[in-house]
Amino acid sequence: MQQIQRYGYILFIAVMAILPNLLNSRWQAVAITFLIFTIVALSQDIVLGKCGMFNMGQALFFGMGAYATAILNSTYGWPILATIPVAILVPALFGVLLAGPIVHLRGDYLLVTTIGFNIVFVQVVQNNLGGITGGPNGIFGLDSLSLFGTTFLSQLSVYYFAFAILLATLWIMHNLDASRAGRALHYLREDQLAAESIGINSRFYKIFAFALSAGIAGMAGTVYATQYSAVSPEGFNFIQSVLFFSIVIVGGSSVPGILIGVFVMFVLPEIFREFATWRFFIFGFAMILAMVLRPRGIWPARFGRIPKFLIKESNHGT
Amino acid sequence: MARNELILNGVTKRFGGLTAVDDLTLKVEEGQIYGVIGPNGAGKTTVFNCITGIYKSEEGSINWRGKEIRGMTPYQIVRRGIVRTFQTIRLFSEMSVAENIMSGRHIKSRQRWWHGIVHTPASRRDERENWKRVEQQLDFFNLSEFAATPTNSLPYGIQRRVEMARAMAVEPTLLILDEPAAGLNDKETLELLQTIFRIREQGVTVLLIEHDMDMVMEATDYLTVLNFGKKIAEGTPDEIQEHPDVIEAYLGSEHDDDE
Repeated sequence: MQQIQRYGYILFIAVMAILPNLLNSRWQAVAITFLIFTIVALSQDIVLGKCGMFNMGQALFFGMGAYATAILNSTYGWPILATIPVAILVPALFGVLLAGPIVHLRGDYLLVTTIGFNIVFVQVVQNNLGGITGGPNGIFGLDSLSLFGTTFLSQLSVYYFAFAILLATLWIMHNLDASRAGRALHYLREDQLAAESIGINSRFYKIFAFALSAGIAGMAGTVYATQYSAVSPEGFNFIQSVLFFSIVIVGGSSVPGILIGVFVMFVLPEIFREFATWRFFIFGFAMILAMVLRPRGIWPARFGRIPKFLIKESNHGT
Repeated sequence: MARNELILNGVTKRFGGLTAVDDLTLKVEEGQIYGVIGPNGAGKTTVFNCITGIYKSEEGSINWRGKEIRGMTPYQIVRRGIVRTFQTIRLFSEMSVAENIMSGRHIKSRQRWWHGIVHTPASRRDERENWKRVEQQLDFFNLSEFAATPTNSLPYGIQRRVEMARAMAVEPTLLILDEPAAGLNDKETLELLQTIFRIREQGVTVLLIEHDMDMVMEATDYLTVLNFGKKIAEGTPDEIQEHPDVIEAYLGSEHDDDE
C-alpha cells in the first residue's frame, strides 16, 4: 500500500512537471489556479482535517498573504520573491492572534467566528484601511517574477513557481505527519479529553495548527498575486472559504483526497464551462454524492503508518 | 526531594446543589496499590477527575510530592507524573495501537513545535527513540501483534490494555486506573491483576477504582470506601471486609429490606 502511494507521488510530480507544456494558455491558467487552490486546501486540511477545527475563514489568510505581496511590491517596490517571508509571517502571526481567543470554542461556534473574521477582513480591504489596500478595486500592475536580474514574463514560469510552492507544502505536510506536533493534532481531533489527559497542551497545539495553516495559505497568496498581477477583495471573500472547506470535506483529509477534492470542486466546473451556470450543478451534486457515499471524504486519512520494526511476524490482525 | 505521596485534604466538589465529593481526606503512599471503592454514584470517578485536573474541587487541597496541584490543568498534572485511564475507554479510535501508545510519549519527546515543519537529525533520533519505547510497551502489555491495528476494531479487553499501555508510556509516578476490570472476563481480570503487580514492581504507585470486589481485595494494599461522596471507611482489605458500614453500604441494611 505504501509502495503504491510512493509511486503515485512520483507519477503525480512527473505529470505535473510536464503538463503545462501540453496545455494552451487558458488551461495553463486553470492549472496554476489548481496548484494554488491545492496549496490552500492542504493548509485548510491542517486545521480542519487533522485537528478537526471547523475553520471557515481560510480565504482570510490566503488573502492576507496575497495583499502582503501586492502592497510590498506595488508600494515599496520589493521583488515578488522577496515578499514571500512576509507573506508567510504576517498571516501566521494573525493566525496566532485570531486563534488565541477562539480555539476553545467547539465546532459550529468556531465556524461562525471564523466566518466573522473573514467578513471583517474583506470589509477592511474594501474600505482601503490606511490607504494601502486599494479599496474595492484592489491593487493591480504588480511586477513579474524576477530572480537575479532575470525577469520571467511567461505564464509557464508562474506555473513552475506555483509548483515549487506546492512541493514545499507537500514536504511540510510529510514532515508534520511524522512529528510530535503533527500527531498531537490527530490526537486532539480524535478525543480532546484523552489527549489532555496524556499531557497534550490542547490550546498550544490548536494555535500552532492555525498559525502553520495560515502561513502556508499566505504563501499561496503570493502565487495568486503573481498569477493575476493583481489582488482584489472578492478573491478572498467568504465563498472562497466555503470552497476550501468543502474541498477538504469532499476530498478527505489526505494528500490524494485534497487533490481529488480540488479537481472535483474546481477543475470539473472549468471543464463544463460551456454549460454556463449549469456547471455548478455538477459541483453541488459532487458534494451531495460524496457526503452520502463517503462521509469521511473520497480518500480519507489513513493511519497506522508506524515504523517497520514495530510490525511483528505474528501479525495476523483481528 | 519530597516523597511521592498524594494527599487529599478536605476535598469537596459540588455540582449545583449536589455534593458529589464531600470533605474527602486520603493519603496514597509511595509504592502502594490504593483502592477507592463504593456503590454506583458514590463519587469515585469525580474524585479522580479532581485529582487529574478535569474538574476543580471547590474546597480542600490536593497535594502531590509536597506541591499543591488543585487548579492545575490536566496536561500540567501529567507533567508532574500523574496519568490516568478512563472508565469508558477513551482511545484515539481510528488510529493504530502503536500510534495510540505513541501519544503517551508526547511529554517525554524532546521535539519542539518547529520540528513539525522541518526535521533535524536530533528530532529524527528522538522520533526513533520514542518508537523504541512504544515497542517496549507493546511487549510489556503483550500487544505486539496488534501494533498496526486500528483500536476501534479490537475487542474490549484488548482496548483496555492499550489504554493502560498508553498511560504507562508516559512513565508515570502515579498511575490512576478508573475501573480497569470493567467489562473483562475472569481470565482477563486475572491477567490485569498480574499486570498491575508488574507495574508496581517498576516503582509506580497505583490508585484504582474498582467494582469487582474479589479483584480489589486481591490487588490493593489499602482502601477507602466512599458512599454518597463521603468516606465511610478506610483500611486494609481485611479490615474493610469486616467493617459494618461497608457491609451496609454494599448489601443494604436490614432496615431497607423491610420496606
